[in-house]
Amino acid sequence: MDDLYLDNIDEFVNDQNKIVTYKWLSLTLGVHVNLAKQMLYHYLDQKRKESSGQLHATYLVSGKFVENGTMSHKVSVVREDQLEEVKSKMSLTVSVHVYSVQKAVLKDSGLLYSADYDAIKENLQNCSRYSAIHCANAVPMTSAEVQQDRFTSQAPPPETENIKSGINGHSGPVSKLASKQPKGIMGMFANKNVSKNQESDKEIKLEQKEDAPVVETSKTKPAAKTNPMSNFFGKQSVKKPDKSIKEEVNVAQPSSLGKKPSSPPPKADSPVKEEPPKEGKDVRSKTKRVDHSDGEENDESQKKRRRIKKPQPDSSDDEVIPDSPPQLQEHKDTSSSRESQVKTEPVVVSHSDSSHLNQERSHCKTRKRRRVLKSHTFLDEEGCMVTEKGYESESYSESEEEFKTSKPNQKIPTPPKPTGKKEDEKKSKKAAAASNKSTKQASIMGFFQKK
Amino acid sequence: MSKYSSDRKMTTLTRQDLNFGQVVADILCEFLEVAIHLILYVREVYPSGIFQKRKKYNVPVQMSCHPELNQYIQDTLHCVKPLIEKNDAEKVVVVIMDKEHHPVERFVFEISQPPLLSISSDTLLSHVEQLLRAVILKISVCDAVLDNNPPGCTFTVLVHTREAATRNMEKVQVIKDFPWIIADEQEVHMQEPRLIPLKTMTSDIVKMQLYVEERAHKAS
Repeated sequence: MDDLYLDNIDEFVNDQNKIVTYKWLSLTLGVHVNLAKQMLYHYLDQKRKESSGQLHATYLVSGKFVENGTMSHKVSVVREDQLEEVKSKMSLTVSVHVYSVQKAVLKDSGLLYSADYDAIKENLQNCSRYSAIHCANAVPMTSAEVQQDRFTSQAPPPETENIKSGINGHSGPVSKLASKQPKGIMGMFANKNVSKNQESDKEIKLEQKEDAPVVETSKTKPAAKTNPMSNFFGKQSVKKPDKSIKEEVNVAQPSSLGKKPSSPPPKADSPVKEEPPKEGKDVRSKTKRVDHSDGEENDESQKKRRRIKKPQPDSSDDEVIPDSPPQLQEHKDTSSSRESQVKTEPVVVSHSDSSHLNQERSHCKTRKRRRVLKSHTFLDEEGCMVTEKGYESESYSESEEEFKTSKPNQKIPTPPKPTGKKEDEKKSKKAAAASNKSTKQASIMGFFQKK
Repeated sequence: MSKYSSDRKMTTLTRQDLNFGQVVADILCEFLEVAIHLILYVREVYPSGIFQKRKKYNVPVQMSCHPELNQYIQDTLHCVKPLIEKNDAEKVVVVIMDKEHHPVERFVFEISQPPLLSISSDTLLSHVEQLLRAVILKISVCDAVLDNNPPGCTFTVLVHTREAATRNMEKVQVIKDFPWIIADEQEVHMQEPRLIPLKTMTSDIVKMQLYVEERAHKAS
């Protein structure tokens, strides 16, 4: 390959002061991503040797990572100065490559997303044209199939994949996403015995997540559908108390939850929007709320929904007001059978998080108290303005919980289901600095609709 | 001469159409708010701890959480908005000053609006959004081309107006207890400025140029 590309990259980086990611480079020059990665590497190498001007780079590191005794696959984008440190923490480094090259020191990882945004948007239909990740089975579903899926009660993990396909072009979010997943998943499994089965599930799941849309294999339900939220609901309605299924459910669910809190690509809006309506239909599952000592899971589930580090909340027992009878009779049997499973199988108790969340998503209108992250701004004794984010108890109605995880990053079009009030409540809970938010910035669309 | 376009999507609006002026002013003020927050973040005028990631134009941007700072910026732009509406604002300048109140950096947003134009609203939005996104990105990486600022810097916002529009501003306080004053000579002019262009954007509704005037020797 001729060295013209070096000049090209030089022009982008030095003259135009761009952030050149390998993805952007591959789309701009029309080359395979692996070639783009090599180009960046050579460029960096050459410039470093010449020691002309200051260049900064970020790297994508992925490998096996052991935390609290659980093994996971971690993918992260790190700055050059953190590279060695992250590599040393991994038990096995699977891949390291240059992610981006730029002149400025990147203080903010969000810039990596912005850098690619326009290029990906232009190539939306075929942003993985030059990608190294392929799956022959990954074919977008026709709308007929999508319709069909909607009305069956089976839950499809591939909704996760569809969303992933939306963000497939963004390695940044995907890798950040994936790096969040281990935490979410590991947190989920913190109380559980780590079994080979789990790990292999995780591995497969995580690898699949990085793929282009993958139709879920027989690991999960047949006739896989597109809704990770109703994933475990679907499992319930099938009435199969298999441990392996539950594990998959748990793997899918935290991954989907883990996904939600991370930066939402705009393309994910429509698949995500589909979710809540589907959820609404699928979520008839409603079990009597079992009060487990799931303070920790509660925390974790709340943690997954939030992107920011927060103080450790005390384990809270939700006060349970006696259930109104479940709204849909057909799931009564399922729920009671499931409940008994929850009580009897010791290993399932540790999976109670999923059932707990299931229940939260039911349509039972039970008012509960829960702990919510709120931020307070006040003047402390030194006269300094302090903003604190803390958990507070708050009363809420169960049906609101449903859309919680789909909310966090959606400030735009909302799912049709919830009322405006719930929406506002969610938004105020979700935005950590709700009290400090500047006046709402209406979208640019709003102005032109005045006509 | 008014134009009757056969294409329904195209509308010709003039400056007299206040709605249009308001629309452009709203867009610009929103943009300026994000830009000012971003400048404060990138140039480390305030510690990065007060900033939080928010979404604007579909990309993550850093905005401050500090209520007083936010209020100040909002009030500032609230007063600037009427000037932009009437196309009286020529430049909006974010000046970063060192401890002695000598400017070290000036981020100059030169704004001009074409007097008469046609808008086709379906492509216009995303186009303008794209352009503004590019400006945001450029601001984010500007510290590659600028020297570091000395510690303890403060900032202020200046508006250069055409003609004598500010006379009206002094008479009528747009916001109570938020007076605008004629800027000091020393704030406006910088000694030995180096000019670093950052971004130019041209769209149907507004033309904007962003450049930075930087003092050659920043350490005080």
